[in-house]
Amino acid sequence: MPEASQMTHAERHRVLVEALAGTIKPVRPLWPVRARLGLWLLLEALVLVWAATHTGNDFMRKFGHLDYALEVALFAAAATLAAMLALRLAIPGRRAGPTEVALSVVLALVGIALVAIGEPMRTGYSLGEFLSVGVGCAIETCLLAALPWIALWWAVKRGAPMRGAAAGASTGAAALLFAFALMRIKCPIDDPLHILTWHLMPVLVITALSALAGAAWLRFRPRGGGGESRT
Amino acid sequence: MKKADDAQRLERSRIRAHLMQRLQQGDADACRLLLDDVGPAVTRFLRGRVASDEVEDVYQEIFMALFQARHTYEAGRPLEPWLFAIARNVAADHSRKRWTRASWEELTPDLPERAAGDSPAAPPDIEGLLTRLPAAQREAFAMLKLDGMSLEDAAGRAGVSVGALKVRAHRAYKALRKLIGGEGEGA
Repeated sequence: MPEASQMTHAERHRVLVEALAGTIKPVRPLWPVRARLGLWLLLEALVLVWAATHTGNDFMRKFGHLDYALEVALFAAAATLAAMLALRLAIPGRRAGPTEVALSVVLALVGIALVAIGEPMRTGYSLGEFLSVGVGCAIETCLLAALPWIALWWAVKRGAPMRGAAAGASTGAAALLFAFALMRIKCPIDDPLHILTWHLMPVLVITALSALAGAAWLRFRPRGGGGESRT
Repeated sequence: MKKADDAQRLERSRIRAHLMQRLQQGDADACRLLLDDVGPAVTRFLRGRVASDEVEDVYQEIFMALFQARHTYEAGRPLEPWLFAIARNVAADHSRKRWTRASWEELTPDLPERAAGDSPAAPPDIEGLLTRLPAAQREAFAMLKLDGMSLEDAAGRAGVSVGALKVRAHRAYKALRKLIGGEGEGA
């Protein structure tokens, strides 16, 4: 057989195809996006049950108010949409449609607007109290998002995302927006300043970090791809 | 005429999708048939996107990537968007690496020629000069220029990022230039 450098394109192609065909093994195709999204929502439901049973917040009474119910529903819907986009981005050739991205952002923005206008801002507490209570909420938001984030990251990584940053951002947004909705149930404080600072900031920060992590580690890179000839 | 072309294309796409499903099940013959069928389309795709002397390498990388990502193809969907998304990704990666390599070569030009008056029989004692460099810089220079390793491999062996390795090698270059210049002046 001639050396690789002396082969024609057809010969190289033949060698490559035979090498690949010779090592082929059956693979289990990814489950459809809808099925994987359903599993992720099931996990979120479990986290919701845990959050609902570990709170002193009378959220059932608050659900009687339309704006509160809408806030929770909008953030949960935005999170579900973001999770769907993340799972879709894991499949080559499927992309996040601009309409779906825009819808997810609009849902979250309307939710934020409802939070901001829902209750008058409280100013009667000390900075120390604001910080000590707030930091705990920020940590709790991150903890509630941790398991769903890991699960979704793993599900996306199982695919072959072509745009790592977008996949990472969608993964982060999905987990954190859902955590935001859960924190509206778990945290008894309805002060907009508290919610926007300590519940929303982690969403923005972790989503940005998740995008950076996605660009670094989520993007599909074929093993052994280094530019050198392999035939 | 156009209708006939469309029907033919549709039929071909349907066959490719079917072959891909069989490939997922581990069918070597389907693998051969499919890769033979998409080969010319991949070559056409690469022309104009990558330098002609690099088409072969990128072509291989694409096939490897298709093979590794085969579990992500969704049965019932046309194969082409999936295939060309992967091809585009590999070609873009390759262009990025090429650009990095070009800027690296620009950053670290060849070592300076010796002064005109120097004897050609007395080349600079590079190994001797290297011992005067910090260990990290010496290692970076040796791996890249003496052992001929790629940036990625050298960075992997040194346990640092490609960027950090570039900086080390660049500093080694500057130090060597200074040392060679100093030797020349002293001779």
